[in-house]
Parts: sequence; structure tokens; C-alpha cells
Amino acid sequence: MRIDRSHRSWAIAALAVFVVALAAYVPYAFGSRPAGGTAPGLVYGVAGYGMMVFAALLGVRKKVPVWRLGRAQTWMRGHIWFGLLTLPMILFHAGFTFGGPLTSLLMVMLFLVFLSGLTGAAIQHFLPGMMKSLVPLETIYEQIPSVREQLRGEADDLGRVLFAQPGDILAPVTVQVLGGVDWDLSGPKGVTMVEMEAEDRTYAGNVYRNTILPFLRNPDDGASVLADPDSAGKFFEALRRKLPAVAHGVIVDLESICEEERQLTRQRRLYLWMYGWLLVHVPLSIALIVLGGVHAVVALRY
Amino acid sequence: MRQIELTINDKAIAVADGTSVYDAARIHGIAIPVLCHQHNEMPVGVCRVCSVDCGEKVLQASCVRPAEQGMKVQTNSEKVKKARRMLIELLMSDHPSPCARQQNSGDCELETLAKTEGITAPRFAKRISPRGHDDSSLVISVDHEACILCDRCIRGCDEIRHNDVLGRRGKGYDAGIAFDLNRPMGNSSCVSCGECMVSCPTGALTNKSVIKTVLPNGTPVGVEEIKQLPFFQNVSGTFLELNANAVIKRHFKAGDIICREGDYGSTAFYMLEGKVEIFLSTPMAHVATGGGVSGFLSKLTSRLTGADKRNSGRTRPHAISIDASVDLAYDNPVAGLGAGDLFGEMTCMSLYPRSATVRASTDCVVLEMLRNVLDVIQRNKTSREKLEVNYRRRALDDHLRTVPLFSSLSPEFIGSLASKVELVRLSKGDVICRQGDIADAFYLVRIGFVKITEEHPGGDLVLAYLGKGGYFGEIGLLTNGVRTATVTALDHVELVRIDGKDFHEMLSLFPAIARDLTAVARQREEQNSRHMAAVTGITLDSFLAQGLMESNSLLLIDLEKCTRCDNCVRACADAHDGVTRLIREGLRFDKYLVPTSCRQCRDPLCMVGCPVGSIRRRNSLEIVIEDWCVGCGLCARNCPYGNISMHPFEVMVKDLAEPAKQKAVVKPKATSCDLCAEHAEPSCVYACPHDAAHRVEPNEFFRTYIESATADRD
Repeated sequence: MRIDRSHRSWAIAALAVFVVALAAYVPYAFGSRPAGGTAPGLVYGVAGYGMMVFAALLGVRKKVPVWRLGRAQTWMRGHIWFGLLTLPMILFHAGFTFGGPLTSLLMVMLFLVFLSGLTGAAIQHFLPGMMKSLVPLETIYEQIPSVREQLRGEADDLGRVLFAQPGDILAPVTVQVLGGVDWDLSGPKGVTMVEMEAEDRTYAGNVYRNTILPFLRNPDDGASVLADPDSAGKFFEALRRKLPAVAHGVIVDLESICEEERQLTRQRRLYLWMYGWLLVHVPLSIALIVLGGVHAVVALRY
Repeated sequence: MRQIELTINDKAIAVADGTSVYDAARIHGIAIPVLCHQHNEMPVGVCRVCSVDCGEKVLQASCVRPAEQGMKVQTNSEKVKKARRMLIELLMSDHPSPCARQQNSGDCELETLAKTEGITAPRFAKRISPRGHDDSSLVISVDHEACILCDRCIRGCDEIRHNDVLGRRGKGYDAGIAFDLNRPMGNSSCVSCGECMVSCPTGALTNKSVIKTVLPNGTPVGVEEIKQLPFFQNVSGTFLELNANAVIKRHFKAGDIICREGDYGSTAFYMLEGKVEIFLSTPMAHVATGGGVSGFLSKLTSRLTGADKRNSGRTRPHAISIDASVDLAYDNPVAGLGAGDLFGEMTCMSLYPRSATVRASTDCVVLEMLRNVLDVIQRNKTSREKLEVNYRRRALDDHLRTVPLFSSLSPEFIGSLASKVELVRLSKGDVICRQGDIADAFYLVRIGFVKITEEHPGGDLVLAYLGKGGYFGEIGLLTNGVRTATVTALDHVELVRIDGKDFHEMLSLFPAIARDLTAVARQREEQNSRHMAAVTGITLDSFLAQGLMESNSLLLIDLEKCTRCDNCVRACADAHDGVTRLIREGLRFDKYLVPTSCRQCRDPLCMVGCPVGSIRRRNSLEIVIEDWCVGCGLCARNCPYGNISMHPFEVMVKDLAEPAKQKAVVKPKATSCDLCAEHAEPSCVYACPHDAAHRVEPNEFFRTYIESATADRD
């Protein structure tokens, strides 16, 4: 979520709660030894744990998106700002001490959850804008494999236009195996062949087979010359210089396809960043809630 | 009668006084070439090809020159031949040889004469300014280039058929034949009898070749048999011969399906014998908003939290309009048709999908016909009257009552109104009334679709599309007596016209209707004003290019806030029985993504052509697809933005082969965003955790956006 001016009221409210909590803690801390079992400590503990539980309920809220239980963005803002407040509340509850093994573990987990949450908030603040700028050809994440398949098909058609021989289009299917790829030379109907010298056609075919096709097969391979936009630009420029002008249109199209592949790779990476931190945040949060409950029962009973 | 004696080509003959030289020669086996004259028409002497030497100073047109006592006529002297040849050569110089008739049947009279005279390449240059073609008629092709202005068609239309449609227009180089006041033939009052085509000596008026003229699965009907039928009286026998296979007789046994709803077709059916059942076999269902347990709970929470439900406007209709002379009651969508009934007109004339399933209740015999034949029937005065009588007797009452406002009219008043209403027939593009005209009638749409537009500086603004069951004209009649919009026929349209006098009489007798109509008129005026106000906002080329300004409600996703979590899509699917109506992909504008989701367009092209009127706009702006959608997919194809999708779902239907049993079938239904009308806010917007998804009114939104962007820059 982008933290912008619309969060102002939440920020002010959170700050006000913190200031009140701090204002109450200072005399409490100076007046007696702060501990979780004291009345103020319990208040801070309950408040902090309650905020944790509310923050955790965001996951449940997202499971029922249609239920009219408050707008999802309200819950998200609550998650962020109440989540921020849990740390000071728990610190005030614990009196800035770690205590026994369970409480020490809880404190460490709290810090990890807090820090991962901050990281996630920062990521989700900045990354959407980056994705918008860096991946203008963005598609739906789950569709990336099928889009890539389509791009490969288009590239194959373009490749055939470049280097298919005059008789190939009508010839029976010729299958060549190149690194596991079955390559059909029969050509699509209606494809217009580019007229080039045989030598140029052979060169184009080799370039396609050795550089472009492997990249399209494995666009995440950073070693390919086409993986980097600058080197890819130079590569295609060199190709344009070597081949006659009639082939340039096809080369431009191939270049666009490679650019789109790069963008899809970029999109995947950014998406993993966008949500990868949840692999830390969510399990730790659940464990924190559960262990926090255990701590509350144990501490109050015993 | 007094006989006179004369010689033709030195042959002495005697004929009755008053006989023309041409007829005198013809009677005695002397052929005189002619183009503009037919023996069953009044001669006019325009072509002069029949010129003969009567011993006078100038040659005479034999078709109009009466024979006189002692006259010496030469029909083949050198002088006559030279003149004739010159005339033919001049006519051939502008003739598109070989013309359509010459190509099809090799009997163009002008080209035959030219061949006789040995004229292969006229010496004279062709005219520069073209005269054009008119292919608006379904039956006859008009090639003005081939017209020699002989007027035979005009005389055939006037003297033989008394239809008085054809006439002359212009003069000099601009002279030509014209239909009514120079309207396209298909839009004129031409009844397509074919007489003009039969009269034409060249390829100027030819029978249109019909693709797949031979209809399958039936028995061709002989011309004599067809002409015995009431509907085909006064139709040209020649036309019927030329279109012999465009109408066939089909026999169905009880239980046979004649046509299925949603199927595409190009024929209409006329019942000769037996009875049929007409019904919707698609169940009354659609991908519901908020169905099931989840939907119940979401609605419950919505109610508990006090979220106001927007006006759903989903009132159950009294009847479902279909392509027949009956409507189907919503609660029991079954009706019957019998001998003399016609169904499938809209499919045949405008190629819309079949609106209902027709099954033979008893053994029956039907005529199945193509569009050109149906067009002839609809234009033919005799058959037209029969169709109208049938409609008035069977369907007009129900049709008037389908208008909710008229549901309280007394049967006596409906009866008296039924005899006074006029059934008006229009072709595509015909203007029914123009903005600013004096309002003199109220209209109900019986068949087809009309477009209602209002004048706007940047181009006409489409206010609405109306199909069968729709009505218009009340605002003009109720307010200042002037039309507030222009109404145009989008395809083959038939309207029920209630004269203003009868309309006002109705209002005075039934004040409740007057009140309701006034409320509707006010509502429409307010809606139109809102539309106009929206359109007169900022116009931006890029917005226009993407069609964004055509929408009433645009879903935008702010890509700088959206984390691509797809919560919006999930929410949409959860709200609609697991079928999402939103795809988070589409074109971009600045930082916004415009996903594939219904835009509630101002010009809802999706609504045009729905055979059962199930896609409609409520009084608010939501476009909804009702549960009697037959799944033809026309709306999905019409939507220029791909925002309507066909969703297959399994339903249990009666097994037609074994009526006691049911079977599971997959039926497609159209789905599109309806803004979650059951809730205060669309689910996608409500469920977005990042404040990224918004439904906006584009004009207002982009105006504010541009103003702030300009302010930032400044």
C-alpha cells in the first residue's frame, strides 16, 4: 500500500496513541519497576496483543472479500498502523526487558515480524511504481508462461520468414531437433518470405538458431547477450547492418519480442520481491500470535 | 371500327383507325426495332429507335405515330437504317456492355439490337460523370449506368401495377429514374412486385441473385401454388419464377424442432397448417450477483452495516419480447402459433439470432422463405393488410400492455386504440422523427431496433437504443410539443404509431397514466441532461482514441498503488458465483490501467440486436443482462472492448426426446459487470486493500486530473 497523504489521519491517531501510551509509561517506569504482570503492564500487554490480533485478522478479512465488514483498505491501514503500535506497546508491557526463554523468543519474533512488516510496507510502497515504469508490457503474473509461449510462436513465425527457403513453405514437414526443440520448417500459410540472398538467409538462420532461440527458450538466462537491453540493442543493430533492408522489419519485430521477454523476466523478479517477504512475515506472525497466547495463559495462570 | 389502308415497305395493309404505325406493322408481321415501347404500355416515343419514314419531312416514331389513310411507310430505307444505327450507337456509347442482363441471360434488348446492327465499339466517348448504382433493394438491383431512360419501368409501375413509385428526376445529363422523391429503392414505397424489372429492356433493373437460393430440407413450391396463398396475391409471377427456390414447403411431425433459440438463421416461417409451440428452452438463470451462502452473508453484512442498496431497478417484466406475433409471459414463457402466423421476421430481415425455440405441437406444414421473398410479402399491400389484421387481433393488446404504463388501460380502450393505431414499416437508416419536429405521435417498437440521438456540437450523442417493447415520443407530446431527440431505424423496424390526438385522449381518460408518463418523461430528460453535461466536458484525443469518454463508469486501477494482488478479481468472482467479470488487463492511460470490465457506455452497442431484449439499461446507468439471455453471443461480439464474456454453465433441462426426464446441458450465458447493484459499492473496489481500484465518471475524473496536473506543472 502506498503510504501517502490519505494516511494522515491514521498516522496522527497512531501518534496520539503512542504519545498517550508514552506519557502514561514514563511516570509508571520511574515510579516502580515496570513488568508485564503489573496493572499498567497488563494493560499494555492486552493492548499490544489485541493490536496484533487485529493486524492478523487482515488475512481472514481477505478470505471473504465480498462480505461487507469494512472496506479492505481500512483493514489494511489498520494492519499497518496498529502493527506499528504493537512494538512500543509490547516494549512498554515488558518494560524493555526480554525476560525468560519464552518471552525472549517472543520479543525476538516480534522484532522480526515488525522489521519484515516494515520491509514489506516499504516494498509495497515503492515497487508498484517501479513495476509500472520498468514493465510497461506487464501482464497478469499467472499468464506469463502462456504469454511466453505465444511470443515464442510469433518469433518462430518471424524466424521462418527470414530464413525459410523458397520451397520450404510448400515442402513436407521437416523436423529438426535443436537442443530439444522440434523445429517445423513447413511454415505457416500466407507467410510472406523476405527476399534475400542465400548467404544472408543462412546467416540469419544461424543467428536465430544460436542466439535468439536459446534466449526465448530460457529468457531468465542472464548470460545471454539478449538478457541485457544495451547489449541486445547492439546485437540487433549489428544484425540490421549485416542483413538487407528488406529484413529490417522482421528484425525490429524480433527485437520487440526479446524486449517483451526481458520485461516479463523483470516482472517476475519484481513480483517475487513484492510478495517474497511474506514468506517470513506471515509464518512468524502466526507463530507470534500463538506463542503470545501461550505466554498470556502461562503468565496469568502461573 | 373504320378501317384505313396504308403501305408499309410497299406492302398494302389495312388496320383499324387509330392504330399506330408500329402496331400496324406488328400485326402484319413486319418487325420494327424498338426499345421504349411494350405492347401493354402506353407508347411514349422517347427512344426513337422505332423511327420510320412516313414520307414526311422528318422521320416519325412509329410507336406514337397513328397510321393514316394512304400513308406510305418505309421501315428499312437507307435513311431509316442510318438514323437507327446512329441512335443505337449513341445509346451504346454510355451502356456498360455487357450489362448485368446480358451477362445473366444474354437478352439485353439494346445489346441485341447493337449486335444486329454490327455495332461493336461505339465511336463516341463514354460520359464522364457516373450515374451510380442502387443496391438498397433486397430484390432488384438498380444500375443507372445501364438505364436508357426509356421509361418502361415507370409505365409498368404506374399503368400496370398502379403502385406509382417510379418517376423521372433531373434533366439533361442528370436525368434518371427515381423512386418516390429520389429515395433509394430499398427505402422507398416500392412493393418489390418486380414489374419494373420485367419491363426493363436492359440490365438497369435486374433480379438480385440470391446466395444459397436453394433452401435445403424442403420441397420447392410451384409458382401457381404460391400464388394461391393469400400472402402472395398480387406478387409478380415473373418474380416468383425467378426466385422459385427461395421459398420451400416443409413438413414437421409433432415434436419436431423447427428452430432453436440462439441459432443464427436467414429465413422466416409462415404457418400453412398445424400448430406450434414457441418457448424459451434456456432456463431463467444467469451468473448471479451474490448467489449462494457467500452471497447471502455478504448481503446480510451489507444490510447490518447499513450500506444502502442502490436502486436495483430489476423489476420483473410482464413479458419477454420475441420475434413472433406473440410475446412470452415471463412466468411461463410458452405460447402457441397456428395457421396464418408468421415468425422469424427479425432473423430473416436483419439476421439476428433466433429469439425462441419453436416446436411442432401437431403435424404441421410451413413455408420457409428467404429475405427477398419476405420483403416482397411485407411490401405487398394485400399481404401487408393480412399481417396487420393478424397482429392487431393477436398481439397488439398484449404488446400495448407490455408497456407498464399502459397496464391499467381498460380492455375497451385498448380495443378502440387497436383499431386506430398505424403500423409503420421502416428500413435501416430511416429517420422516424427529428429533433425539433412537431411531436404528433407516440411510438412502440414492434420489431427491430431504433437509435435515439440528441444534437451536440461535437457530433450526435446517442441517448439510448430501444428494441421490441420499447417506446418513445412521450416527452415531445407531454411537454412543449417538439421532439427532443432524433430517432433513427437501425435495421428493419416496425412501429406501432399512436396518433397524438388518441394519445392525449388516453391521458385524459386515464390520469394515472398521465402522471406516470410525466414522471418517466422527466426522468428521461434528467438522464439526457446528465449525459449532455458529461459530454460537453473536456475532450482529449487520447481519451477519445481509447473510447474512454464514451463510458459512464470506468474502472481504473492506479498502477502506482496496485500490488497486483488480484483481490479485486477474486472479489468479483466471489460475488458472481465464481465467475469473474473483471480481467486485470487492458489499456493504460498515464498511471492508470483500464481493466477489461463493462464501461456502462453511453452508446451501448452491446444492446443492439438482442433477440430477446435481455441486455438492457436500468434507470440508473448499469447495463444488465437478464436471466432469459439465450446465449447467442451477439452482445459479446458487438462490444468493441471485449467486456462481455460468454460463460458456460450446466443446467438441468427437460429432455425433449423423453419429456419425463431431465438432462444436464451446458448453456452459455452472457456476463458483464453490473456494478454489483446489490451493494452500495462494486465488490472489486470494496475489496481492494491498497486503494488502487476505483470506479469513476471519466469526464469528471479526467477533468480534475488534468486540472491538477496543470496546476502541478505551473
